[in-house]
Formats: sequence, structure tokens, C-alpha cells
Amino acid sequence: MNRIAEASLILGSAVLAALGVAIANLSSGGSVDAQVALTFVSFVVAWGGLWVTVRRLTPGANPYLLPLAAILSAVGITEVYRLNPSLGSLQRWWLIAAAALGSLTILWLRDGTAVLRRYRYLLLLGGVLLLMAPLLPGSWPLGGVTVNGSRLWLRLNLWGDSSFQFQPGEVGKLALVVFFASYLAERRQALMQVHRKVANLELPEPRQLMPLVVAWLASLIVMVYQRDLGASLLLFAVFMAMLYMATGQGVFPLAGVGLFGIGTFGAFQAFSHVQRRYNAWIAPFDDFEGAGYQIAQSLFAMGSGSIAGSGIGLGRPDLIPSAATDFIFAAIAEETGFVGAVGVLVGFALLVAAGFGIAVRSRDPFRKLLAAGITTVIGVQAVIIIGGVTRLLPLTGITLPFMSYGGSSLLSNTVALSILLVISQEEHR
Amino acid sequence: MPPIIANLLKFAFIGLMYLFLWLVSRSIGSHLGGDAGVPVLARRAGGKVAIITSPTQAGVVAEIRGSLVMGRSDEADLVLEDSYASGFHLRFTFEDDQLQVQDLGTTNGTYVNGRRITSSTLLSKGDTVQVGKTIMEVQ
Repeated sequence: MNRIAEASLILGSAVLAALGVAIANLSSGGSVDAQVALTFVSFVVAWGGLWVTVRRLTPGANPYLLPLAAILSAVGITEVYRLNPSLGSLQRWWLIAAAALGSLTILWLRDGTAVLRRYRYLLLLGGVLLLMAPLLPGSWPLGGVTVNGSRLWLRLNLWGDSSFQFQPGEVGKLALVVFFASYLAERRQALMQVHRKVANLELPEPRQLMPLVVAWLASLIVMVYQRDLGASLLLFAVFMAMLYMATGQGVFPLAGVGLFGIGTFGAFQAFSHVQRRYNAWIAPFDDFEGAGYQIAQSLFAMGSGSIAGSGIGLGRPDLIPSAATDFIFAAIAEETGFVGAVGVLVGFALLVAAGFGIAVRSRDPFRKLLAAGITTVIGVQAVIIIGGVTRLLPLTGITLPFMSYGGSSLLSNTVALSILLVISQEEHR
Repeated sequence: MPPIIANLLKFAFIGLMYLFLWLVSRSIGSHLGGDAGVPVLARRAGGKVAIITSPTQAGVVAEIRGSLVMGRSDEADLVLEDSYASGFHLRFTFEDDQLQVQDLGTTNGTYVNGRRITSSTLLSKGDTVQVGKTIMEVQ
């Protein structure tokens, strides 16, 4: 794909976002107004700007990642705007901020991702601290906030009543993935070759696994103290996937499933909120007014969307609690139907395929693992939340990358995408 | 808004989304497997090379789409279990329906139909390619 094709696809995503906003306006009795133009302009500025940075600084980068992320965000912003126009206009600013941060990432890493390896333990420390940061007392100037029973937010109290909230865990996850990639790239030979024989089972040397145990404990702490099952599941799945990719040994995923089983069973016994989630998954209609309400509304929404959907602005996805964030997929499935939902899935599948393509092509183990790890983060997030809203998996709140409303998620996913772009450039040399 | 226009707009939105995804997936195919520059059409067919004589690898068939490097190194696309082979011994390329083989400057050389090759050599069906004790046949 040449540059002109890539540029036209990015322009196409801006057109799609503007068209979506226009349809949402028309459906609610409005007209084609400044919001349409603003959406178009912010898409051109954000994705176009990032594209110019990529083409100037890393001309050999993979040409598919940006257009795919742009199209997903175009469908996402349409639905966010339709659900809540003020969130939609905020999301435009987040989009521009994310693209700026992505450009800075590319500028910083344009000579290669090797610099990330040097700060490995700093990244581990930073990642764990960021994940733990919301546990700070809420009364401090920089303190944690509990939202919907989960403690994921950090609030920076400025002056008077004004404050700024963000989810530090989103960036923390990315830092941990970079740490894992560099740690595993260095130790994979040892992990593969140094064994302890325990009753016919070849197990890796325990000392080699210490940092991984630390990370596992971190993900447990996230689950127990922050009540964030989604992030905990995501971290754990990504660690196990990366261990498997680094060593090629099936014992890791098997042990991972075992550990996960033990952890889940323990959590189920110990915490009422895990039990409520489980019950809402198995039988959402038994407690329709209570725990099952959200998932039941999501099922109604997708059911009434049928094959081709109600049309943007013509359904009732606003009945689903937190439709613009966690349940954006259900809202899209209602208003664009099965066809639109499959389109979103295809978009994610292509994005993940392009990401793994970069990993497969990488010759350096660190870059290979980093590319695969970042791709896994994006893919697993999509699987966890799409599975959750369609009742394939128990619901664990997490954002859908590039589509849900949310600044922290959009910023960290765009930075992740930028790192992938830099890796693909390095292989091109 | 009249329902007919609402429907038209809805399908325009979904249609544009699908057009976009189709355009990307059409050109991404060539990007996933191996060489990025290989056109999609040429990838449908490939040249087949079968190992017919080898202590351990007889019966292995390699389908060459784009390019494939054989050698003793773990980094080679097809690892030859042959102590006479170099780390990266030879490269097969399949382009415009033509299969070619190129020796990568090895000590023991590559032989096509018994003759040592010095440059990129065009292969046709039935030709044999020998590396150390391994003999392959073009199929």
C-alpha cells in the first residue's frame, strides 16, 4: 500500500466519522451543523498529523496500523457522540491529545526501541507504582477515587474545586509489557534451557521466575484492592501469552490456566462482588433489576439491533448503563446491527493480524516480544470486553481500545500503537 | 427524518465502513505471510521443492512463495539437518511464475543437476538441487 492509499484511508475515516455525526444529528431532529465539521477537522488533525509524523520520521513503518485504528475510532466516536454529544466533543480533544502523545513517542523512539530496554527496572517500578497509585488516600492532593465500586482513578486536586482525573493503570500496563518484553528477551534462553526435574516434569529454575511472580502478585493486588477484574485478567493473560511466546513451552499457558483457576476460585469464595458478577453472567434475568440489569440491557440492545441495526440515533442504547465506555460495542451492535458489529470485529482482527505480522517479521527477540505483547494487550482487551457485553465471558469492566469514550485508554493505546509503528520501521531497515 | 432516508444513511455508514475494511484487507494479505513486496496474485501459486535424499529429512516439501532461505542456522526458514550445509546456504525465490535458486556464497556450494552454480539460476520441473548430502527435486 502506498502513501497515497494510506492517506486516503485516513481521510476516509474522517469522512466516516463526520458522516456518523451528521446521521446522529439528523436522527435526533438536528441538522448538519458545526459538530460535523469539527469532527472531520479533528480527525484530519489527529490521525493525519500522526500519519505525517510517521511518514517523516519512520517512513518504513507498517501502513495498516494507522488506518485501522482511525476507522475503529471513527465508528467509536460516532456512537459516543450519538449517546452523549458533550462526551463526543470531549473525545475529539482526547483524540488530538493522543495523536500528539503518539507523535512524541515516535519522535523519542525514532532511532529504535532499544532505549526502552535500558530503563527496564525503572519501567517495572513505574508500572507497579502507577497500578497501585489509585490506592492513595482520597483526601490527599493526589489521591485515589472509587468509581462504580472500582478504585482505578487518580484525582489531581488543583485549586479550589477543580480537579483532573485519570486512570494511571492504563499507562502502567504498557510499562509492564515493555518490562516483560525486555526481561524475557534476555532470559528466554535460560528459561528454556535451565530446568529442574520434579517428578518427570521439567520446570524452569525458580529463581528465573521471580520477577514474573512479582508481576502475578501485582495483578492479584489490582484485583483484590482495586476490584478491577478486567485489568487483572488482562495483565495475567498478557504475561502468560508473552511467557509462551518467549519460550515456546506449553507448560506456561497450562500453569497459567491452573493459577488463574485457583485465583478465580479463591476470589469467588472470598469476594461478594466476584460472586455477583458470576451470577449476573450465568443468569442475568434472575436479578434483572439489580446485578443483571446492565448485561440484560446489553442483550436487549443487540437483539433489537437485528441484522442491519436500528440506524444511528434511532435505537435506545442509552438504556444501557455506561454505554459510551464499557458497553460501546453493544451500542454499536444495536444501531448498526450484526453487520456493523462484524465490521468492528473484522477491524480488530486486522489490527491484531498486522501487529502479529510485525512480531513475526522482527528479528530481534526484544522487539518481537514487545510487538507481540502490545498486540496481545489490544487484542485481549477487545476479547474481554466484547465477550463480556455479549455474555460469552463474565463481564469485567474494561474499555474497548480506540472506540470507548475515555482519555486514559485512548492515550495509552495510541502510545502502544506508536511503539508498534516504530518496531515495524526498525525491521524495515 | 423519513424512514427511507434513515435507512439509506444507515447503509451508507455501514457500506463506507466495509469499503474501508475491504481496501485494507485486500492489501494486508501480502503483508502477513512473508515478504512485504510480493504482489498478492503471485502468492496464490508457489514453486514446490521436495527433499528426496537426506538422512533425516526425506519427504519434506517446501512451498516457495516469495522467498525462502535454507541452511543449518536456526534462523533459516527451513533448517537443513546436514553438516555440509552452511548457516544460510541458498535462497529460493518464486516470482512471476518462475522459480529461481541462488547460492549464498557457501563453502561447499549448491549444485543444480550436478553442476555447481555461481549466479541466480532458473529452475524448471524435475531439476535437482543438491546441498551437501541433501538432494531436492523441483515439483
